[in-house]
Amino acid sequence: MTHELSFWRKYFFSEDHKVIGMQYIITGLIMAAVGGWLAYVFRYQLAYPGASIPLYGELGPAQFNSFITNHGMIMVLWVAMPLLLSGLGNLLIPLMIGTDDMAFPTVNMISIWIFILSGIILIAAFFVPGGAFGGGWTLYPPLSAGGYRNTNPEFFTALFSGTSLFILAVALEIVAMLMGGINFLVTVINKRAPGMTAFRIPLIIWFICIASLDFMFSVAPLVAGAVMLLFDNILGTGFYDPARGGDPILFQHLFWFFGHPEVYVILLPSIGAVAEVVSVFSRKPLFAYNTIVKLALVSAVLAVIVWAHHQFISGIDPRMATFFSVGTIIISIPFAGIFLSYMATLWGGSIRFTMPMIWALGMIGTFLIGGLTGLFLGSNAWDMFAHDTYFIVAHFHYTLIPVSLYGFFTACYYWFPKFFGIMLSTALGKLHFWLTFVFFTGFAFPLFFFGLKGAQRRVYDFSAFSELMEDPYVLINQVSTICAILLMLSQFIWIYSVVAALRKRKSSDPIGDNPWNANTLEWQAPSPPPHGNFETAPEVFHGPYEYSVPGHETDFHPQNKPIPNS
Amino acid sequence: MEIFPESASSYSSDIDNLFWLIMVFVGIAFVASLIILIYPLIKNHHSKVPRAEYITGNQKKHLKWIVIGMVLMAISDFAILFIEHGTWAKTQEHVPDDVELHVSVIGKQWNWVFIYPGPDKKLNTADDVVVDQLNSELHIPINKNIKVDIKARDVVHSMFVPAFRFKYDAIPGRTVTRWFRATKEGKYDLSCAEICGVLHSNMRNFIVVESQEQYEEFLSNLYQSQ
Repeated sequence: MTHELSFWRKYFFSEDHKVIGMQYIITGLIMAAVGGWLAYVFRYQLAYPGASIPLYGELGPAQFNSFITNHGMIMVLWVAMPLLLSGLGNLLIPLMIGTDDMAFPTVNMISIWIFILSGIILIAAFFVPGGAFGGGWTLYPPLSAGGYRNTNPEFFTALFSGTSLFILAVALEIVAMLMGGINFLVTVINKRAPGMTAFRIPLIIWFICIASLDFMFSVAPLVAGAVMLLFDNILGTGFYDPARGGDPILFQHLFWFFGHPEVYVILLPSIGAVAEVVSVFSRKPLFAYNTIVKLALVSAVLAVIVWAHHQFISGIDPRMATFFSVGTIIISIPFAGIFLSYMATLWGGSIRFTMPMIWALGMIGTFLIGGLTGLFLGSNAWDMFAHDTYFIVAHFHYTLIPVSLYGFFTACYYWFPKFFGIMLSTALGKLHFWLTFVFFTGFAFPLFFFGLKGAQRRVYDFSAFSELMEDPYVLINQVSTICAILLMLSQFIWIYSVVAALRKRKSSDPIGDNPWNANTLEWQAPSPPPHGNFETAPEVFHGPYEYSVPGHETDFHPQNKPIPNS
Repeated sequence: MEIFPESASSYSSDIDNLFWLIMVFVGIAFVASLIILIYPLIKNHHSKVPRAEYITGNQKKHLKWIVIGMVLMAISDFAILFIEHGTWAKTQEHVPDDVELHVSVIGKQWNWVFIYPGPDKKLNTADDVVVDQLNSELHIPINKNIKVDIKARDVVHSMFVPAFRFKYDAIPGRTVTRWFRATKEGKYDLSCAEICGVLHSNMRNFIVVESQEQYEEFLSNLYQSQ
């Protein structure tokens, strides 16, 4: 089934799921550098208002707004999604369910190129007259529907404005992700290896499917909302203009109906990777695997009915807000079950502190703070004070950074040997982990206190607010900024480690196909897997987490080999 | 050191107490989770335990631990909801009847506009007084219920008075009525908490809480200046 392909077909317009997965990850990392650069510039402004920023110069309020706006959108839609959902999904689904490729390889190829195009459009918006959109990543109209400029420009000026390009980029990104999501679901439903029954599918694949379902269920309203917003901008319609019978709150509902499930869309693949790693390096079955799947389904359903907790104080009926408060807070119940199952997996295990395991444990520990601070914000009475303050900023960085950074590195250190045939350095890995952990805490934790003092988000310069310019709040902002910069610089250790490993690849000893002694099917394929993945199509005989089965010498049983005497 | 801003409204201490109450539940959950996470890492290092136990966690005797954890979480959740709902209902669902001042606060790019009722003490009549200035002050009497109509002229703003623990979005096309009662004299920030354009962070006015006499004097000066 393998045949020679030209250079372009092999590395650029490839239909191989592994190449497409890598393309998603590389694009995501490039966009992470862009988002990180924006964060560096505006964090510097917050710590040292009005100072000339090294390598940038002075930052005006309009640029500040567009930088925070684009930082938010890039980190969610152009970094977390391609790294976790599309990247891991593409790389792992065919390998872990034991098939040669995705169900629709061509659709898959088109999806990555639409995704890259959407990223280019987003960045191009910085260079059009008037600059990039700066009304917050949530795109609330009327600010995003002409409220940002006060004139009514003609059609083409409006079409190529920063606002329109921003909306267009978001819409295209969603199209790309939809193609990926359809592919993931169809592949998992139709292309599983013989014997791969529902409850023999590795948890990460379950979670990617649930995430795709949540995404596809919630995204249509956002696309409709975005199209109406684009029409308001370029055609002069009034969907969100109260003067012409529209309603700005409508967009907030459409946005958050997508925006909240989106958190679970990136959370689930990430904690899926954590689950695989925790089980393998405890040498123990994943505790209550079937129950975890069911709890994740429950939380995915709850995730789509809690969106208005972003709007407790945005003009919805206060009695309605109570419903959303209850829904939000009870999401903690299935997640308590999921995370307790992860921790229970450790009990009675034989724990190996490999690099993926350290990242996975770091992810669980750090995410605890993010998850539990959600209980404060879910209480609508307290949210009245905390809404739109730095408390929220600290909270969602404590959820999204463990999810997208720690979760991605858990997966990267774990599957790197599969895709490149070489391990990443453990010494450099430990340095990378501890610096990331310390600087992330130094960056995000102080911001809780800044928010508790009543500092609202998206403020260009706090100099006018005397209470927030006293000690220790000046110091808090400076510590946070310095730690954020060091956090970004620490990631160069990982880049160095990857480059060093790839350079040594030819000269070092082969590590074998299954260096971690894992059960799941991807480890039974050659490292790196060739086009088509498996030499012979695998057949599955048991679940993915049969570690340390009593009465056997080895403590692992690959899914494609029957367990003797059972 | 005080971690919250100054406390100057009848319900600001309710909101602060809510924080500490939730903190008790969250703190216990956090410490318990860390113990459950870290204990096996120390006890079950592979040098001490070379081979893991085979526990799938699917049997009732094992699964019960997860169920107990979820039940405890559910109890905490509903305890939090039960207590916080009282504060929510008090601040949001009912506006008190005995209102001393009914005033409009209108967001625009980039300052807050205040509309006081005229000498007839009724808002939305011909003699209303409009104050539309950068960094202007809203004067209110102490220990009296104030009813605010929150509106916006151009884009979404959010009326944020940290000292009152009060925040509500100002939405174009809507009038939202909320209330507060100041309990401490002083001058407090009234800023905008929702990004509203280039000079969002310049949008900053003040609320001045003063005695009934000072407030009445302020009002008569205001009416005379018309």
